[in-house]
Amino acid sequence: SRRHSVNRPPTPDVRDDDDDRPKKPSLLEIVNIKLIESGEKERLMELVRERLVECGWKDEMGALCRAVVKKNGRENVTVDDLVRAITPKGRASIPDSVKAELLQRIQTFLVSVAH
Amino acid sequence: MRFHVCCGFDLQLSSDIFRDLLDSIIVDVASESHRIARLGIDRNLDLKEEELRLSAEARARASDPSHSGEANGKYIVDIFGQSHPAIANEIFDCMNCGRSIMAGRFAPHLEKCMGKGRKARLKATRSTTAAQNRYTRGSPLSTQTPYSNSPSINRSSNGSSAIAGDDYSNGNLEEP
Repeated sequence: SRRHSVNRPPTPDVRDDDDDRPKKPSLLEIVNIKLIESGEKERLMELVRERLVECGWKDEMGALCRAVVKKNGRENVTVDDLVRAITPKGRASIPDSVKAELLQRIQTFLVSVAH
Repeated sequence: MRFHVCCGFDLQLSSDIFRDLLDSIIVDVASESHRIARLGIDRNLDLKEEELRLSAEARARASDPSHSGEANGKYIVDIFGQSHPAIANEIFDCMNCGRSIMAGRFAPHLEKCMGKGRKARLKATRSTTAAQNRYTRGSPLSTQTPYSNSPSINRSSNGSSAIAGDDYSNGNLEEP
């Protein structure tokens, strides 16, 4: 029987095996649940919203949206159209300071739930 | 939790979380702009003013008598365009006395039927002894069990057996 174990094929790597195990929660999902349960997610969202208003990011996105509305017509525009239109610029134009502040808070949170 | 807490944290993880947060906010902004566009509020950039104006208009429309509203008598129209009578008119059977009752009249009926009023208390089955009546004098509430208050029970004064045995006496009750 020992000989059989030597000839055994290597165990497949299950970490990326999402198709066979759709129910196994990813680390991100687990952390997300912790974020929501603790209320930290809501606090983070409020913080980001506040910072993005202060630095004019929200107004910039609003202007982009108005441009899309003007182009497509008020009655024809969908939320998806707007999301697709502003996402690239939106992600790219986050001020570094805002991003740093948020990452810091998130990392602090991760450390706190790891213990 | 089993992630890499070597110097503290997983950078990729926090980046992902930040990215999700940002995407949510982007959707919020897009949704808000969409609403403004569809409602035509963007012509007047003072949002609050515009929304106050719109809600005042809506209220005026709702209470406008020339609408299919008050002019029809008691029917007003709700936000789905449905009209309902002022008194709910679905009919069902009272679970206490079995009569057919209109929904909008059910509460007053139940008061009488279950013994809040004086007449209901008199209607109620009496106890077997007068002594019991005296004992419970002044007790305000009726706690009749269901099915005990059938209209066919007669008032009898002499120690008739009570079905539910509940009775409430006040000064007006006849003593046997």
